[in-house]
Amino acid sequence: MYAFQYRKAGSLKEAAEFLAKDDEAKPMSGGMTLIPTLKARLAQPTQVIDITGIAELSGIESKGGVLSIGAATRHQQVASSKVVRDVLPALAELASNIGDPQVRNRGTIGGSVANNDPAADYPAAVLALDAKIITNKREIAAEDFFQGMFATALEAGEIIVRIAFPAPKKAAYAKFPHPASGYAMAGVFIAETAAGVRVAVTGAGEGVFRWSDAEAVLAKKMDATALEKLTLATDGLNEDIHGTREYRAQLVKVMAGRAVAALAGKK
Amino acid sequence: MDHHEHQHLFDVGGAHLSRLEDLRLIKGEGCYAADWNLPQQAHAAFLRADHAHAKITSINTDAARKAPGVLGVYTGEDAVRAGQTKPLSMLTFAGKDGKKALIPERPTLAHGRVRFVGDAVAMVVAETALQAQDAAELIEVEYEDLPVVVAPETALADGAPQLHDNVPGNLCFEQEAGDAAAVEAAFAKAAHVTKLKLDCTRVVPNPMEPRACLAAYDAKSGVYTLHSPVQGINMMRMQLVAYTGVPEEKIKVVARDVGGGFGQRSIAYPEYCSVMMAAKALGRPVKWVSSRSESFLSDSHGRANYITAELALDKDGTFLAMRLDWIADLGAYLHPAGPVSPMRNPVTCLNGVYKTPALFGRWRVALTNTSPVSAYRGAARPEMAYTIERLVDEAAAQMKIDPAEIRRRNFIPPEAFPYKTPTGSVYDIADFPAVLDKALKLADVKGFAKRRAETEKRGLLRGLGLSTVIENSGAGMFPKDEILLEVAADGTLTAYSISHSQGQGHETTFAQIIGDALGIPAERITLRQGIAEKGLIGNHTGGSRTIVGAGTVCHLAAKKLIETATPLAAEELGVEPSQVTYAKGEFKSKESKKTVTLGNLAAKKPLSVTGEGKFGSTFPNGCHIAEIEIDPQTGVTQVVSYVTVDDCGTVINHTIVEGQMHGAVAQGWGQIFGENVVYDPETGQLLTGSFMDYAMPKAGWINDITIAEHTTFGTVSPLGVKGMGESGCTASLGALTNAVMDALRPLGVPPLDMPLTAHKLWQAISAAKKGH
Repeated sequence: MYAFQYRKAGSLKEAAEFLAKDDEAKPMSGGMTLIPTLKARLAQPTQVIDITGIAELSGIESKGGVLSIGAATRHQQVASSKVVRDVLPALAELASNIGDPQVRNRGTIGGSVANNDPAADYPAAVLALDAKIITNKREIAAEDFFQGMFATALEAGEIIVRIAFPAPKKAAYAKFPHPASGYAMAGVFIAETAAGVRVAVTGAGEGVFRWSDAEAVLAKKMDATALEKLTLATDGLNEDIHGTREYRAQLVKVMAGRAVAALAGKK
Repeated sequence: MDHHEHQHLFDVGGAHLSRLEDLRLIKGEGCYAADWNLPQQAHAAFLRADHAHAKITSINTDAARKAPGVLGVYTGEDAVRAGQTKPLSMLTFAGKDGKKALIPERPTLAHGRVRFVGDAVAMVVAETALQAQDAAELIEVEYEDLPVVVAPETALADGAPQLHDNVPGNLCFEQEAGDAAAVEAAFAKAAHVTKLKLDCTRVVPNPMEPRACLAAYDAKSGVYTLHSPVQGINMMRMQLVAYTGVPEEKIKVVARDVGGGFGQRSIAYPEYCSVMMAAKALGRPVKWVSSRSESFLSDSHGRANYITAELALDKDGTFLAMRLDWIADLGAYLHPAGPVSPMRNPVTCLNGVYKTPALFGRWRVALTNTSPVSAYRGAARPEMAYTIERLVDEAAAQMKIDPAEIRRRNFIPPEAFPYKTPTGSVYDIADFPAVLDKALKLADVKGFAKRRAETEKRGLLRGLGLSTVIENSGAGMFPKDEILLEVAADGTLTAYSISHSQGQGHETTFAQIIGDALGIPAERITLRQGIAEKGLIGNHTGGSRTIVGAGTVCHLAAKKLIETATPLAAEELGVEPSQVTYAKGEFKSKESKKTVTLGNLAAKKPLSVTGEGKFGSTFPNGCHIAEIEIDPQTGVTQVVSYVTVDDCGTVINHTIVEGQMHGAVAQGWGQIFGENVVYDPETGQLLTGSFMDYAMPKAGWINDITIAEHTTFGTVSPLGVKGMGESGCTASLGALTNAVMDALRPLGVPPLDMPLTAHKLWQAISAAKKGH
């Protein structure tokens, strides 16, 4: 780790000011990606601005069919929230399977979404549920927000404040964890929303994406056997020592099938 | 010692006594290498090669020397000037045609050339660790790349890149063992031959405590004090003496708690010697703590043995002969004992638990552009057992003989012990059929067919795998094992040992043995390890031998204490020694009914004894049975049942034996299903350099393990102990792989190598389905 100045922001305004004054400053939420990056000397910020204590970034509420979660909410809080369990149990379950207990008690939903790790779990939920990313400057639709590996629509100094999930009719998430890191090697979130069936895939490609073929067949009939005939195109998928593109395509299909199976009997 | 006395051993304190050290350790009161600090200490950081094989054309340290807080910058020139170029080599015996090993030099900081990614190129010492790390980045090294070789078979082939001028063809050593002619003849008349090529993959030991050291130099006495994790301070000192040229009496190694070892701690690493050099040069203590990233690159790696094996059988499945061609990948340099394990241990148990009459093997030690390899839990015993057990299962399947039955037909029968093996070992005592039968029963092997049918209904595959193994333990390289016992006036005892726990629980088992011999509670005995001042002789902890060596000597020392104290007690009691009896810490006179305790005697005059002993080889053995389910859609294997029946001789503490088994089986599990070091074959870069890519076994992978014993009374120790630190690794590699192959064989999947990742199994299943 290189030396840097640590600052804890008291308000959203203060955090924005710190970041505006220093191009080399980095905001930090749970720090579950940033801290290992710093320890490996892969980043050298002048300042680390801790935004987890900001009041506007906290709280979970369900109002008018929308579940709104503060950006600094820890995974463990999402996993154990009665509100989330009632309105969007698939999201609570997703959160309960992120990383390990240490990560779940430090990492936050806003941090995960802002980081947009291509193997993170939350982006699949955000995209499948067509959630809105509310920042200190604007609202961004999920479709516009995720822009490939670690890339998002966030501008310099822009901070996620809340994420608003329209409650779906039903939703489920199934993930195949990477054998070493535990991140998703393939994670599939399926939601039956007012706008139709949405299928979002994380882990397998360069970033979260929608699997439109699966959406089309599942819209006709929410049945796993319908997926069996589909073949996910492998050209955009990852390939490394842990698995070929073909294996990842297979895992996406299997996880999609498991998510469909899990949808039965779920909100 | 008769069987009756055996029955009465170790009921003092309870056979399930909780570990005496645990409370201290879980309260954070342990003292690990990085917990040591000295006034005025400075901190070291290493710059490591990011090229796998390259000439160092220049090193510019100017900027680093001027950086804030920097006290000194050292390079290969300094290492060579200090004479730190030749690590100890224990590969001293002659190989094929009487040829000795070719030992490459290894300056403690790379000099002129780097040979693996992670090779230390320079060391910076500064006021703080952060300053040292910052300055290390300012060192400018220019490299001229050389061709890279990471696969040992390739390294031994013609035209391979050469790592060391004095090791032509990268072949350090070659040996043969067994009877080539007899094997040739047996193969010629065999009804069936099974041949397998088996890769026992390279793993990173990954103990929880990272490597660290703190070295101080006292200019007045010329004595260096080194704090580092050890498996025994004598082994560490012996290697430091060889590497640094500092005489033995001028090096003091001090250690207390050690957080895991697995063989990785029994090495005087180059970094420790460099830190000693800096401590002397600067006149200040110097400390270094490795990061986990450095551990992956530069800790000793384990296994990395590549074996072609053939088994010849007659028409009834009787083993006639076995032949091996074994290549051991030792990495870029030789760690002191690194090549000894794969050269010695497999030969010791070349026939496994079977009466195979003819055996022959050829072993070669290869060098590659990878991190050096050394002993790792089992130290080539697991590879040997794995090789035999894979062959046996494959042969059984090919000949359509039940895997348990083929083993039973070939076991060395119980009445044949002591049994002299074709390669000269003497197995002291064992009962393989009884061990197997107990395991078969516990695993409910009879009910397997029904369970398999049920699994298949769920669309999964099910397999069952056996492994019946034996391994050598007991004998040590030091002339003897000593235990010092000191009695305090309050009747408590302190025992001193060289054999050092890295988690094995010596503080409990040793106390139990001493307590048992003295008839006092184990809690009254405190074990101290790594106390250089006591000047004891003894083996480090390794090769599952501690309980046989130091453990037995605890018993002998306690008996000697009673013997030594009896005349003193007689004097106190005013009677002849023959009139004195001892029980439960107290001496009594038969007539007067007066008593005097060990504590009373110690209060009058210091009371201590040193027990000693030297022991030959003994052979722990066992049978493990794994049952697994594979999801053909994802290739994921779930181990649904795991049974171990082991003969580790007398059990001192069941809880500790079970803990050893859990840990060792988990390590085997890790190696079979995930752990694997991968170097890029073109560049030699480490592709699995962190836990993001290196799949350590996780708690959720491991289900309940059913642990049982079927012990025989080992003959080399009066306690009947045999050792059990490594048997879980030795047996699990074969049992798990055989279970997976049992599930896949009906699909037509050919023999597979570890790691049996979900990806690999899915590919194998898919390919087999396409082939149908």
